[in-house]
Amino acid sequence: MIAARTTNHRRRVAAGLLGLIVLLSILAPLLTGTDPRDATTGAELVSPSWQHLFGTDLLGRDVYSRTLYGGRRTLGVALLTVGVTLLPGLITGLAAGYFGGWIDRALMILMDALLAFPALLLALALVALLGSGAIQIALAVGIAGIPAYARVTRAAVLEARTRMFIEAARAAGAGPAGILWRHVLPTIAPPLLAFAGVMLSWAILNSAALMFLGYGGDLSAPDWGVMLADGRAAFRTAPWVATAPGAALSLTVLAINLLAGSLDSRPGRE
Amino acid sequence: MSFEPIRKRAPARLGVLGVLMLVCCLGMAVVGLLALHDDAESDEDAGNKIVYGLTLNPSGFDPHIHLSNELGIPFYSVYDTLIYRHPQTMGFVPGLAETWTMADDGLAWTFSLRRDVTFHDGTRFDAAAVGANLNRIMDPEIGSQKARFLLGPYTGYEIVDEYTIRLSLSEPYAPLLDALSQVYLGIASPTALREQTKNSYQWHQVGTGPYKLVEFVPGDRIVLRRNEDYAWGPVFYAPASDQSVDTVEFRFYTDPPTRSLALEGGDVQMIGELLPTDAELLAGNTALRILRTPIAGTPQQFFINTRRAPTDEFMIRQALLYATNRTAISDAVFQGQSPVAYGPLVSVTPFYSPEVERLYPYDTGYARSLLEGLGYADTDADGILDLDGEPLALTMVFASWNQMADVAQLIQSQWRDLGIDLELIQVPDYPTLLEYANAGEYNLIGMYDFGVDASILDQFYRSDGARNWSGISDPELDGWLAEGIRQNADDARAQLYAAAQLRIMEQAVVLPIREYINLNGTSARLDGVIFSAQGWWPLLRNLQLTS
Repeated sequence: MIAARTTNHRRRVAAGLLGLIVLLSILAPLLTGTDPRDATTGAELVSPSWQHLFGTDLLGRDVYSRTLYGGRRTLGVALLTVGVTLLPGLITGLAAGYFGGWIDRALMILMDALLAFPALLLALALVALLGSGAIQIALAVGIAGIPAYARVTRAAVLEARTRMFIEAARAAGAGPAGILWRHVLPTIAPPLLAFAGVMLSWAILNSAALMFLGYGGDLSAPDWGVMLADGRAAFRTAPWVATAPGAALSLTVLAINLLAGSLDSRPGRE
Repeated sequence: MSFEPIRKRAPARLGVLGVLMLVCCLGMAVVGLLALHDDAESDEDAGNKIVYGLTLNPSGFDPHIHLSNELGIPFYSVYDTLIYRHPQTMGFVPGLAETWTMADDGLAWTFSLRRDVTFHDGTRFDAAAVGANLNRIMDPEIGSQKARFLLGPYTGYEIVDEYTIRLSLSEPYAPLLDALSQVYLGIASPTALREQTKNSYQWHQVGTGPYKLVEFVPGDRIVLRRNEDYAWGPVFYAPASDQSVDTVEFRFYTDPPTRSLALEGGDVQMIGELLPTDAELLAGNTALRILRTPIAGTPQQFFINTRRAPTDEFMIRQALLYATNRTAISDAVFQGQSPVAYGPLVSVTPFYSPEVERLYPYDTGYARSLLEGLGYADTDADGILDLDGEPLALTMVFASWNQMADVAQLIQSQWRDLGIDLELIQVPDYPTLLEYANAGEYNLIGMYDFGVDASILDQFYRSDGARNWSGISDPELDGWLAEGIRQNADDARAQLYAAAQLRIMEQAVVLPIREYINLNGTSARLDGVIFSAQGWWPLLRNLQLTS
């Protein structure tokens, strides 16, 4: 009971925090009247004040406005990334886990080969191939995440396959598609959802890393990774430039991880 | 009953396990520390030693072959050149050549060489040694990227006697002396050139200069030691003293934010290209000195493409120049440490014409009226001007050097206020930039080059120039620039280059931003910090390490 309550509580806090961050990003135009790309002459590296809540960067752009707008781009790229990872990862994992045999072996050899590359290295190689830009980053990081997701899905399917009701469904003559859709997927949804959360925070961090390295394409577009890179050069004189996007990134990832952790241990599942 | 022994033994077992684990952990930590410990080479008998931070690891360090300015930082002191430029007066002074004369028709130059010079490997220096160097530079096999180009219309040499050499030209070439004063035409030991291959020579370079190359670990360090026998330096080289630096170790600090930290932490005693914000921060530190060294040549600039719409329209190019607040850029990106540039040459370059400073003051009102005069208006109210439904959109391409990205973003922001949409394309390196340049897919492209002689303009502004990226084709300008390298008299050249600079700006084919300043930081213990006339290369000979 106590465990369930703390989990509930933690989930509420995490969901609230994440909701707040998403809301702030969405409502950016209402919360600030400053164009995030607008460089104000004579207002470079101004420390935080009422006029510039988070200060300004080297070019005189408002860090508060850039942080709010940056959330849109950072979270947008991360969502796209997870989309790219989830569907192929899920299908591969389901197919491998359910059918087994040579399908399983072939798919898993492929996935293991991909897993042998560090994911960020694979993403870097892909972005070098695809060119720079937000979409390209989402694709690269997304593809790099597929093998891990496929592996987790397969493991969950293997476990679910042994359950009695699936045996029963098969005995009743249901087809593989029907079984997967109606019986397997609902059973394995909670751990997969939790892992999707982990993938999301992973996607945020990795796409921010690629943005930080300058693969984001549009240079002046606000993005937390880009802002971190901007702030790094001036970190000794103007720490606020990197602090705001850094804190935003950490809080978002923390909230997602807390939320994902609590999804897997819903009360009543045990 | 049996509780006793168990209770007694359990802690003992845990203790043994714990000790074992502790030993294991400590062992791993020690191994880790040992692995991390960078086994510094023995510093005994190193005497006065400094570490100098290089800011770039260029593709190669062979001055005859490669073109990076960075290679001259160590190797300007490993070699002597036939001629030197005096760092203060910029005039030519004797180096390995004691005197030189130009033939009346300007097609031959005769150099009388010093007789008391020996290479670091003991080889005697003579006219044949100079000849061997010229042969190497002109050999297409070695693929010289700069030295060969510097020699211009050079056709061959003739050894008049053991210490006299005559160079022949196919046409008069005023920049010859300037070329011979650069590290790219440093004189290498013919013995070493013979013994090493084209590729391996760069790790075993042998010259006649005040410092010898003793160690070269590619990508890690270059170590120079003082040449005790050196007695043939140019007038501006200080005599050796107890405080002269005996050993200079060069290490790489390619990531800009790490440079000031290395300097403050005492890892380096001298380093170039500090970030402007860091230079400001270090200015208050009494243990350090910050030196601003202007570099002659072209400014940080963007060529405006006259072969691509809409910048093929003269008035649009003019409007762009009026619309750019260069002072704001210098103040923001370079903390005001770098002077604003107005023309195709920077003000420390000989033959610079201050006339260009009158042109294109920052005037957004005038820029707007120029665009309106062409019929541009924001008819769809999206903040971007358009003409016949076509928005005023430009593309700017640049490489990621020297805070170009920051400069470009400020320009983008300034022009957007005027209704000009600027797309920024940042490329990682020079080859990629070259691809864009060759494809002509840009309205503006960032490129610059350094050099003391005004003929540096030729490659960019002659209609047949190798890097004529603005696509300018002006017969009169071509004539002036061609005459500029044929004429040897300074006043005639000054006039020609003044006319050329003014014409280039009148045609609005380049957007100059700021003059290049190398922000050097040194330990306050280091005296006699002087740079060559070319600006990049320190005179290691003059460094004094005080205690």
